[in-house]
Amino acid sequence: MVVVERKELSFLERIYFPAILKGLRITVSKMFAPRFTRQYPEEPLPTNEVTRGQPRLAVNEDDTIRCVSCGLCEAACPAYAITIDGQETERFIEREPERFDIDMLRCILCGFCEEACPKDAIYMSNELELADFSREALVYDIEKLKRPVSALQDRIDYIKKINDRWQTSSST
Amino acid sequence: MSMLLIWLLVTVACYGAVIGTAALMTLAERKVSAAMQYRYGPNRVGPFGLLQPLADGVKFIFKEEVIPAGANPWIFKLAPVLTALPAMLAIAVIPFTGVIGTFEDTVIYGSIANPEIGILYVLAVSGIGVYGAILGGWASNSKYSLLGGLRASAQMVSYELSLILAVLAVVAMTGSLNLHEIVTDQSGWLGWNVFSQPLAFMLFLICSYAETNRHPFDFAECEPELVGGFHTEYSSMKFAMFFIGEYTAMVVMACLTTTLFFGGYLVPFWEGAPWWIGLLAFGAKTSFFLLLFIWVRWTLPRFRYDQLMHLGWKVLFPLALLNIFITGLWISFGPGGN
Repeated sequence: MVVVERKELSFLERIYFPAILKGLRITVSKMFAPRFTRQYPEEPLPTNEVTRGQPRLAVNEDDTIRCVSCGLCEAACPAYAITIDGQETERFIEREPERFDIDMLRCILCGFCEEACPKDAIYMSNELELADFSREALVYDIEKLKRPVSALQDRIDYIKKINDRWQTSSST
Repeated sequence: MSMLLIWLLVTVACYGAVIGTAALMTLAERKVSAAMQYRYGPNRVGPFGLLQPLADGVKFIFKEEVIPAGANPWIFKLAPVLTALPAMLAIAVIPFTGVIGTFEDTVIYGSIANPEIGILYVLAVSGIGVYGAILGGWASNSKYSLLGGLRASAQMVSYELSLILAVLAVVAMTGSLNLHEIVTDQSGWLGWNVFSQPLAFMLFLICSYAETNRHPFDFAECEPELVGGFHTEYSSMKFAMFFIGEYTAMVVMACLTTTLFFGGYLVPFWEGAPWWIGLLAFGAKTSFFLLLFIWVRWTLPRFRYDQLMHLGWKVLFPLALLNIFITGLWISFGPGGN
């Protein structure tokens, strides 16, 4: 049998006041400590090039879209969020999407579309906010998805770096 | 006619100040607790969230009012009133400041009324407050409410005894029940009653926490055991009435602590300060005790119920009696005695 020896409390300990004052001192000192809360809408979540946000379509400097509507991202998408209809174009790439919808409510931000894309046309941006009043408004069409290359440059560089490392390590 | 006007003005000012403070206390409670937990607290409604009490009030008014089946509707509706009203009645005699001036040979005091039995009146009306809790708990037809009401009544009755005995020591020292006289009696170097009656002050402070159902004695509510205690079944403005009553009682208790033990509206080292300076001094002292209410709540854990009763009857009550005895000996045989 285990017998726990308990220390007899002294008078000061039994009237509790020193302990209470110590507790009050701790709580008041915490009042002036830095606060953890992020004031969200004013103070957004910090993002960087590794952030895998919502997919966006890259648009070149001359306002042409890089996508050739090959359908690889559509096939790679595990959530069936992407719908593409292609059409012909006079440009050198010969094909471009007539319709490119991403259902943001289905998208799981996995980044498979970015990996699948052979033309470096779709990238995971650092945009994370998704709120609207109807489900229909959250099916983004091609105009909503277009982003200039300059806005996505950090991510493009990062993906290039990752891919380069992959290629060098497998060739050696 | 104009005397009536002055009286009306003083009344509106006193009630407005106390109930406004009670409303701000609900905000201060959340702000201070947030600061102690590395948070910000409400800061969206108005600058620094100052309009939050207003938003809460509007929300309460628009909430659906639910009366549970099997509840006694009349007593159910009466209980919130019985909680809020006594706390507000006690405001009437609190001396917010000294003599403001004279008007047609009538001295205008810094309180709504200045009866000779001031402190007795406060104790009497705040004693009614327990009925709100016990009737609300009983009329709700809910076991949690009933237990909360029973606990509230047992606790308030046992702590009121020590509270009154602590006040009695002050009254014996002063020789008056009039609150203005109790304040003016505390003038001078170390004249505050807290220096001559430290034990009575500690007893009064502890009992005032129990009387207002605040931590660490909030057994009437006791969320983990009784859901919400006596106000579990209440909703809408009736629930808000319980809250207004609770916070007004806190303000009244803080005012009383200031008046009885910290020289009320007296400013240290400045005899004969103008009345508005006295008002500011009173406000500052009371604010500290209001802050202490919140500060203690977010520091100490709740007692166990038997510990509460043990503390009330076996520690505080004998100490209060001892204090009365020593005070009596001092008055009779001390330097000022006969």
